[in-house]
Amino acid sequence: MRRLMIKPLVVLMMTTSLAWASEAALENIQVETSVAAVERGADNLMNDCHSCHSLKYIKYRDLVTFGIDKKKIEAWRGDQALDAPLASLMTDDAAMQSFGKVPPDLSLMTRAREGGASYVYAYLLGYYNTPDGVTSNHLFPETKMPDVLGISGTTEPAQRAELQGKAHDIVSFLAWAADPHEEERYRLGYYVIGYLLILTSLLYFVKNQIWSRLK
Amino acid sequence: MINKIIKGPNRIIKWIDDRFPLTSFVKHELTGYPTPRNLSYWWNFGFLAGFVLVLQVVTGIFLAMHYKADVAQSFDSIQHIMRDVNYGWLLRYMHSTGASAFFLVIYIHMARTLYYGSYRAPRELMWWTGQGLLLLLMATAFMGYLLPWGQMSFWGATVITNLFRATPFIGEQVVVWLRGDYTVGDATLTRFFALHFLFPFLIIGAVVVHLVALHTVKSSNPSGIDLAAKDNIPFHPYFTIKDFFGLGVFLLVFSVFVFFIPNSLIEPANNIPANPMVTPNHIVPEWYFLPFYAILRSVPNMVGGVVAMGLSVMMFAFMPFLDRSRIPGGAHFRPIFRVQFYLFLLDMLVLGYIGYIPPTSQSILIGQIATLCYFGSFFVIPFISIAEERWLHKRGLPPEVEALIASEAHELSKFPHRRRKGDIE
Ligand code: HEC
Ligand code: HEM
Repeated sequence: MRRLMIKPLVVLMMTTSLAWASEAALENIQVETSVAAVERGADNLMNDCHSCHSLKYIKYRDLVTFGIDKKKIEAWRGDQALDAPLASLMTDDAAMQSFGKVPPDLSLMTRAREGGASYVYAYLLGYYNTPDGVTSNHLFPETKMPDVLGISGTTEPAQRAELQGKAHDIVSFLAWAADPHEEERYRLGYYVIGYLLILTSLLYFVKNQIWSRLK
Repeated sequence: MINKIIKGPNRIIKWIDDRFPLTSFVKHELTGYPTPRNLSYWWNFGFLAGFVLVLQVVTGIFLAMHYKADVAQSFDSIQHIMRDVNYGWLLRYMHSTGASAFFLVIYIHMARTLYYGSYRAPRELMWWTGQGLLLLLMATAFMGYLLPWGQMSFWGATVITNLFRATPFIGEQVVVWLRGDYTVGDATLTRFFALHFLFPFLIIGAVVVHLVALHTVKSSNPSGIDLAAKDNIPFHPYFTIKDFFGLGVFLLVFSVFVFFIPNSLIEPANNIPANPMVTPNHIVPEWYFLPFYAILRSVPNMVGGVVAMGLSVMMFAFMPFLDRSRIPGGAHFRPIFRVQFYLFLLDMLVLGYIGYIPPTSQSILIGQIATLCYFGSFFVIPFISIAEERWLHKRGLPPEVEALIASEAHELSKFPHRRRKGDIE
């Protein structure tokens, strides 16, 4: 008990100052939901992230259902089944050897961090070179993941903007992957709320009608 | 007896009535059930609690058809429900949002009862069955939270089961007995699932007792007395329609959460599978436990903290003894009690906030003060209520209250068994 409660306490006290700094830096981004953006994101993710990370709750078939270009999916899938999940190309053992930990599954990533999509975006673009030439990350200084997008070595504004666009697309894809039914949920939500508004106002009138019988 | 020929459904009802008191039951408990006409919308929340209970049972049973209680499969089975089961996301979001809605509705229901003094005679048993319902609800929610097997599920259950270490002499054994293992694991998960399935049915049983008691003592009302029969109206159709209108408003708010911001009620860390090797850097319970969690953390000694937390939930049960006032209308005609009621709500909010933020030396101090205020506000009630009553009588009560007291005295003369020591003859 003691230990359980003290440990998080100490960790927190050490990180609060950092957390505040990074929270201030968290730019609130709006993910895109269009098929085109999600497809670009999927493309980038398969090239840049898939080698280390899995998306075990997403199957190739889900990509087809969503409407991503079939030819692309075929290329990614190779001879795997359509119902196979997007497994990482790296075995856990190999990952343990290279990084000392297994890269986390990305299917729920935008839901599994405080800050959500904005956090992942800022994390991908948070790499920088310290004066002594070490690459570090503003949000997660001790991260074992290398600077995959190469933002730390990019100074040219146009190239930086391109990387930002890329990160934005990747995050849009991840946001879709974390909650593929989000669009459907919103759509149904508008109907349900519209229906309830009508029903509730009717009930209100009927209620007044019935109560007006009382003197 | 002349046997009239009855046709159609009435014949069936008559057939039943000859064997079972159907019509008289409906008439007695619903269509003819006398209800005070001056009930405000604060009296809608009992019905809403019943509705949410049904909602949780129905969504829960459908979730249980797809859920797997196994440490290797739980997290995946939730994702299976969210992604592959038809409208599984709707079931799960309704159930996870429903838990919060349940507590919100019950807390408002309790606040209503505190404000209007509905726990006073003759409704003490209603209040105590309600207290039992609150405990069952808390237990159900706590065990349900383990089932998705996320990081917060695991660590929340670990921290809370650990508290039973405070049991004298057999603390260690009790913790192992509860978990079924030395740590929270597969044994814990399967038993929590079994109990999470069972408890709502115990709640239904307790609600029946709660309602039988209600129909014996009848509803209280904003003026706080048993109104003479002329001010009572039949429950149906007046309160059925009022309850359904209230339900519509409730469902509107509920739907905004279910369809647009369901994840605001799910801690991000709970979207990471449970990992006994990694402690999340900030273990927070669900919002509805925060004030009690703050009280737990405010006491530097663990056993003391556990006792304080347990007591803080149970303090409500003492209300019928603590409140000595006979002024009708709850806080409405009692200015000091009213101020104290609002200060108590404020103190709850402060405690909730303190329970939410990571502890700092300053927040711990504020939490300790708020904890003292929490218990203090119960302890001062006997003194406040007696002094306030005396003061109100000396100052002269407003004529409407005098009239109420007179009519209550009249009521009491009809029900001598409800009379208490010191009541006006
Ligand atoms: C070379 C292998 C590798 C590649 C390629 C890679 N990652 Fe990672 N990633 C890791 C490792 C290792 C971690 C674990 C970091 C840690 O916890 O220290 C990680 C962690 C993460 C995290 C979690 C950070 C956190 O807060 O815990 C995110 C998000 C992430 N990666 C996204 C991506 C995305 C998006 C891409 C593609 C642009 C990508 N990764 C490509 C190895 C990789
Ligand atoms: C599962 C949870 C519960 C359900 C379903 C429930 C249901 C109800 C219902 C339908 C009523 C009828 C009157 C009204 O609508 O206000 C009622 C009254 C009452 N409830 Fe509850 N209740 C629950 C929990 C509680 C709790 C936790 C308490 C307090 C600790 C409580 C205390 C009372 C009291 C004192 C009354 C009588 C008040 C009056 O009518 O004036 N109830 N309850």
